[in-house]
Amino acid sequence: MESRWEEKNIQALFSKLKTADERTAPRFATIWNHASIAPRRARVFNFAFVGATALLFCTLVSLAVWSKYSQRTQTANVSVITPVPTSTTPLVATAGGADQTSTPNPPQDIKRPHAIRAKTQRNALIAANWKAMHDSKTITSWQSPTAALLTSPSDEMFTSLPQLNQSSTQLKSFLPSRSN
Amino acid sequence: MDIAELKAELEGLHSASFGWALSCCRHDPAEAEEVLQTVYLKILEGKARFRGQASLKTWLFAVIRNTAISEHRKHLWRRIVFLDPLEDRTERPAITDAPNTAFEKSETQQQFRIALSKLPPRQREALHLVFYQDLSLSEAAAVMGISIGSARQHYDRGKKHIRKWLSQTETDYGITLGRKEHPGAV
Repeated sequence: MESRWEEKNIQALFSKLKTADERTAPRFATIWNHASIAPRRARVFNFAFVGATALLFCTLVSLAVWSKYSQRTQTANVSVITPVPTSTTPLVATAGGADQTSTPNPPQDIKRPHAIRAKTQRNALIAANWKAMHDSKTITSWQSPTAALLTSPSDEMFTSLPQLNQSSTQLKSFLPSRSN
Repeated sequence: MDIAELKAELEGLHSASFGWALSCCRHDPAEAEEVLQTVYLKILEGKARFRGQASLKTWLFAVIRNTAISEHRKHLWRRIVFLDPLEDRTERPAITDAPNTAFEKSETQQQFRIALSKLPPRQREALHLVFYQDLSLSEAAAVMGISIGSARQHYDRGKKHIRKWLSQTETDYGITLGRKEHPGAV
């Protein structure tokens, strides 16, 4: 019973509201005529749409240019690394002598124009490893530049023994001369 | 249905349509008028077409609701883009009413409007469609684009809120809101 009364109460409040709204409502003809003569929006050229499309296009173009540029710089970095093995090969041959055959060939396929980042990184790593190996070999076969000063013509005498069939005169020549 | 026939039907529903547009536009008459004009324009341009799947009133109210929502979004977007300060529109009817009309309106009516504006939108819509527009719950659900179960839930919750408001108003102001209008109701 109470809820029914409340429903009627709410209904009465809404009907009051409706009456008030009806008093303030504009005439149908006014709105209809406004709608009929309202300028139809030009659908052929929408500035907002054109602007948004242009912005999107610019973004895509700049992204494409940037990605291409970054690829180029990566390949250039790789080609800087590659000349190292070819220039150092003669050095190894002179210093190492016998090791000349065992020197690993530098990776020749680094110059390939592949733009895949992983591959270029791998190639760069291989080149770096090869360089490190070459450097270590150079260090082990290093000789001091003053080593030649330590050698003398009589080195042979100290390092060799007199032969049994050698004459005493020849031996005397090696001995220091006595003055008294 | 040709345009002349449709126009006649729309004219018959005009005051109800305006009331519904007002409810969808948080009781802003200017915005409601703009929404209604846009709706009529949509009908004239053939963007909104009545296919007879529901009653004309239900279809028209659904178009008004959707248009009001899209217009509100557009306004919000414009405010964000042009950095226009957002104004509190919930209390607007009580504040921006012309002095003479506000004077004409009873205290209860204004309080009721404020109480309605404080309700969640779905609850307000459900109550409006049922009590103001005399639609059934299934018709209200069709207008709101929800299931009848959800519409019933919103309707019940809204009624509960209004009931609470009624009892509070009676104790605060010491007035009996509906008893005078319906003396034999109890």
